[in-house]
Amino acid sequence: MRFSPNGFYIDSYGKCANCGVLLYDEDHALRHDDRSFCSEWCLTWSKRPADDASPLPLEGAKHTYAGATDVVDLKILDGNLASICRDMGTTVMRTAYSPIFSESLDFTCGLFDRRGEMIAVGDFCPSMIGGMPLIVRTIVEEIPLDEMHEGDVIVHNDPYRGGMHTPEHTFLKPIFLDGEIVGFAGAIGHIGEIGGMVPGSFYAEATEIFAEGLRIPPVKIKARGKDQPDVWRLMLANVRTPRANYGDYRALIAGADLGERRVLELIERYGLARFERACADLLDYSEARMRAEIAEVPSGSYGFTDVMEDDGITVDTLTINVKVMIQGDEAIVDYAGTSPQTRGPMNTPLSIPQAASYNAFLQICDFTIPKNAGCFRPIKVLVQPGSLLNVEFPAPSVGGNTECHPRIVYTVLGALAKAVPDRVPAADGGTWSNFLFGGTHPETGEYYTSYDLHTVGWGGRPGADGNDAVGSMNGNCRTVPVEVYETRYPWLVEDWSLVPGSGGAGEFRGGLGMQKTIRCLAPEIIASHVGDRHQVPPWGLHGGGPAGLASTVFKVAGSDVWADARTVYGKVSPSKFAHVTIRDGDRVHVAMSGGGGWGDPARRDPEAVAHDVAEGYISTASAERDYGSGETTP
Amino acid sequence: MSLHLGIDTGGTFTDFVLYDEAGRELTAWKVLSTPSDPTDAILRGLETIDDVGRIASIRLGTTVATNALLERRGARVAYVATRGFRDVPFIQRGNRRAHYDLTWVKPKPFCLRRDAYELNERVDHHGTVLIPLDETEVRALARKLRDEGEVQAVAVNLMFSFVRPDHELSVREIFAEEAPGLPISLSYEIDPRWKEDQRAMTTLADAYVKPIVGRQVRSFREKVAAAGVTGRMAMMKSNGSEMAAEAAEEQPVHLAVSGPTGGVIGAKHLAALKSIGNLATLDIGGTSTDVALVVKGVERFTDDYELEFGIPLRVPMIDIRTIGAGGGSIASLDKVGGLHVGPHSAGANPGPACYGFGGTQPTVTDANLVLGRIEPDAFLGGRMRLDVEAARRAVATVANPHGWSVERASLAIVRIMNNNMVGALRAVLVEQGHDPRDFALLTYGGAGPLHVCDLLHEANIPRGIIPNHPGQFSAYGFTMADARSDRRRSVLMSSRRFDIDRANAIMEDLSETVLADLRRQGHTSDVTLQRSLQMRYLGQNYELELPLSIDRFTEANLGSVWDDFHRVFEERYRFNLPSESIEVVDMGCTAVAAISKPDLPRLPEGMPEAAPASRRQVVFEEGTLDTPVYRRSDLAAGQSFAGPALVDEDVSVTVVRPGYQLAVDDHGNLEITRA
Repeated sequence: MRFSPNGFYIDSYGKCANCGVLLYDEDHALRHDDRSFCSEWCLTWSKRPADDASPLPLEGAKHTYAGATDVVDLKILDGNLASICRDMGTTVMRTAYSPIFSESLDFTCGLFDRRGEMIAVGDFCPSMIGGMPLIVRTIVEEIPLDEMHEGDVIVHNDPYRGGMHTPEHTFLKPIFLDGEIVGFAGAIGHIGEIGGMVPGSFYAEATEIFAEGLRIPPVKIKARGKDQPDVWRLMLANVRTPRANYGDYRALIAGADLGERRVLELIERYGLARFERACADLLDYSEARMRAEIAEVPSGSYGFTDVMEDDGITVDTLTINVKVMIQGDEAIVDYAGTSPQTRGPMNTPLSIPQAASYNAFLQICDFTIPKNAGCFRPIKVLVQPGSLLNVEFPAPSVGGNTECHPRIVYTVLGALAKAVPDRVPAADGGTWSNFLFGGTHPETGEYYTSYDLHTVGWGGRPGADGNDAVGSMNGNCRTVPVEVYETRYPWLVEDWSLVPGSGGAGEFRGGLGMQKTIRCLAPEIIASHVGDRHQVPPWGLHGGGPAGLASTVFKVAGSDVWADARTVYGKVSPSKFAHVTIRDGDRVHVAMSGGGGWGDPARRDPEAVAHDVAEGYISTASAERDYGSGETTP
Repeated sequence: MSLHLGIDTGGTFTDFVLYDEAGRELTAWKVLSTPSDPTDAILRGLETIDDVGRIASIRLGTTVATNALLERRGARVAYVATRGFRDVPFIQRGNRRAHYDLTWVKPKPFCLRRDAYELNERVDHHGTVLIPLDETEVRALARKLRDEGEVQAVAVNLMFSFVRPDHELSVREIFAEEAPGLPISLSYEIDPRWKEDQRAMTTLADAYVKPIVGRQVRSFREKVAAAGVTGRMAMMKSNGSEMAAEAAEEQPVHLAVSGPTGGVIGAKHLAALKSIGNLATLDIGGTSTDVALVVKGVERFTDDYELEFGIPLRVPMIDIRTIGAGGGSIASLDKVGGLHVGPHSAGANPGPACYGFGGTQPTVTDANLVLGRIEPDAFLGGRMRLDVEAARRAVATVANPHGWSVERASLAIVRIMNNNMVGALRAVLVEQGHDPRDFALLTYGGAGPLHVCDLLHEANIPRGIIPNHPGQFSAYGFTMADARSDRRRSVLMSSRRFDIDRANAIMEDLSETVLADLRRQGHTSDVTLQRSLQMRYLGQNYELELPLSIDRFTEANLGSVWDDFHRVFEERYRFNLPSESIEVVDMGCTAVAAISKPDLPRLPEGMPEAAPASRRQVVFEEGTLDTPVYRRSDLAAGQSFAGPALVDEDVSVTVVRPGYQLAVDDHGNLEITRA
């Protein structure tokens, strides 16, 4: 990574050729064959032949917990840190303006040690839990500690420097004790509108980041406790909804303030040296616990591949390929073989495959492990620079976060299903079908934007059918009730239901997705959409069938025909398109995939099949076709 | 007719508190519960009273509605929705209970999908009828349900019924004609507020428990009357008020959180008696702990309640938060030796190892026993002998791998339990914008007094209180309850476009509804009315409640309403936005009929020095200390002593750490402060 001589912009982004992390000190990086590496381990790994399956242990592993801090004191410390993060989150939720915080919980809060290592994180948005460590490490790399002062707050959203995509804004506050930095408190949240080509900043046809809203490198929005008016003005001049953004930024800063206050109280009780020792031990303890979990997975190399359908600009499919190598109590998650970065905004920065890989492991592990930087140490994620999952400037990435994250999780789980088949479900519906729209409300004359989410079926799993209508793995959002929706936005909701038959057949059936039909009540609404699974269905496991496809279709006023965005608006993709104009009386129908089936449908309990028919989850025809139980139904 | 009786039916015990107006005397006792018919335990408890004819009132806290909901033992319910929306209770809100738990099973609503029906009708958010109700279709449905005879109750939830209830009211009329006797719950009457998913679940819950609650309440009334009681019989509602037993059958969902409210009512009166502004209550039981707040002398209410994850019940209730930690919480080691307490609990069966019912895993109660804080022979007034060796064996399973002594492991278990509690307590306080140091901590329930002093220490709370009869404090609170009716309705107006006439009409309708509710139960005098608004800045998602000092809106007084909101917002969040428009989400009205309260008896002043009844070896962080044990019944007003000390009574033990002291107040409450 090379800055311009005046330090005002970046000349080039240097990354480790093996794992893809940014190299801030390129001059001192390890070099081999004209490529740079972050560590001896990465250099050695990259020199191995591709088929070498021998273990290459990670450096500095802590296989068991042997810290100086008593495990009881660790438990108390972790409880206190978790309580601080939760209270920070409560503060954000209660004071934020956008429903995306309070209803969708699309944010989280974390605490960091003086080196920027995450020591605790709030239990809010899962994609951010795994993504925050990288973001904060970047900030600490870029702003020298001696240029930080008590009362500073740093804001940052740059996807090329650890960020997740432009809407995700991090506010980080250094914590000072007696004039010395002792840690950081931070809050990260999805800001609903940050400028760019379309309302909601989710430009599904972007080919450069400049269409995806305002990009903010690490800068101080508050310095020594005082607002920096120049930064506030610059940020708020570039968004469509400055009032809401102001409120949301303030809420995130209030979260960081509370974290700072409470960490200082904690340090006062512990004493600084003991506090820092215990925090370091807590990371080691989490590492040991994650290692104990991985050790239960049989060692070996497990591969899996899935495809994204298109990117909004071209019709080509994009491959996500993973090889998970379990070597004793650690895992190498290698994304070699994944497509190169693409023209449309389905790319992701490195923080996404990192967060999604951690997410996948936590799904099959004892999830009570304290989430911190230590917990993720035994999982090494390798993503080549310039790949779909490690985007290079100035390629776009706004849709990669939402679309690729859940799919990466399930690609890793698909690989792990070969190692621990009793712990892994079939694929879920894999997307939220993000439907963004905005306009001027005909009744109030006020400008509005909204970000609609939709829920999918979970895959069938050993012992149970998949859940119906639950969000996919990257978030844990609540959908907006219809009565709130119609009161705020000029739509009439005509249908809001489960999609019968959308779950894949199996001994344990996939859950059902949801669907809705809405009719436009305004002269015009401008809408964009980012989704997937319209052409390639979620997969089943162990003989279970695939789930139904998702779809987003339109029926223009006066027409009798439902058709997708390719036909109606001349778009390239049925699932990723931007800036379509929906007019009074036009209808939109969004239907979501169910989950894949698990196990041979022939093994399904006939009573369960009869129950599914009686409850309308599957049709009589499906009962006959998929389960051969037609004749026996009375 | 001078006896007032509070009865709290719990899972293990049924508690009784009797106040004798004539003798100004308070007595408390308990009997084993009888889950098959809870009334049997009540009858057994009544045997303690010499002359049941003197009973003027009974207030009963019941778990019948809660248990029917939690254990899914309710009626088969038909759900009737607007065309296009029958799946609302199945879809819910799409979030999952935990981020990383692929084994989680999403909760089912209180009806089968085959029993969910749709009607052709639609109202929009302005109350405009887009599609009129098709009465023929309603009639056909009513006949079908009647003829099939499978469904035992009906829940109706039509879109925007809170703006325009006409269609729901018509549905009920038609059902009354075609299927009389089929109980029907209307969303407009149960919960006239926006967000159709929460309204759906609440209305379904009401219909679901209606038949079973009706049966139990009738059984209670008949059997107690047969036993010779002629006084007023009332049930405790989730909002902490009493309701005539015959009225409870109409909207049984109001009984969902009946029992735990008593402690909060008791706390409120104790706070007034002792001139304490802010109290946090902590009721530590076997499997869970209830936390509630009394702020500036007033209990807090909520309707943002989930019976379990994904099952919201939106009825007015005292804001009581339940934490899954209690005396039965199990201690365990993780794969690398870390020690955890909970979330699993040994419950009542097998219970802690020391109960001797076959439990082998160490619990918090076992740890307290090992530490000498519980007397094995005096548990539950000596009715149950605890097995110390079994407790030690259980604790050894987590102590041995570390080479710790059983005492050290027990201290660790108790410490982790206390820290979990403090985190939960702090979460409740912070969420409401409070500082723990501004609160006194009132603990009751069997295990509360064991932990109170540690909690004061951990949370930096200056003062702890243990009331009289801590084991029956909820039943005691019932004797203090008022009659109360709350009603809220979503209105969705903003300060920029406030329709004064509509607002006044809704407010009048709300006040008439709550007054009529109390009138029906015989309360016509001493009724006070409080109107309130739920407001927020436009675009925000959480509301603040603003009590109104006016009874009608006028052009002239509206400005003061908005000013009050800005002020209240600033008090809570330390900033406000005076130029923003304000959204009025709900209007509310509460009627309270004050019912005369027992006077708390005073304790006689005794010897200045309290004398311990015995001494025991008790383990504290400071080491094993020779600790005086006082009998609570021996204590007299004005006495005080320093920790380490224990106070033993019928169903609980109060622990005083070294460095803290205990004082007995005029009424016999124990107060712990830093020495």
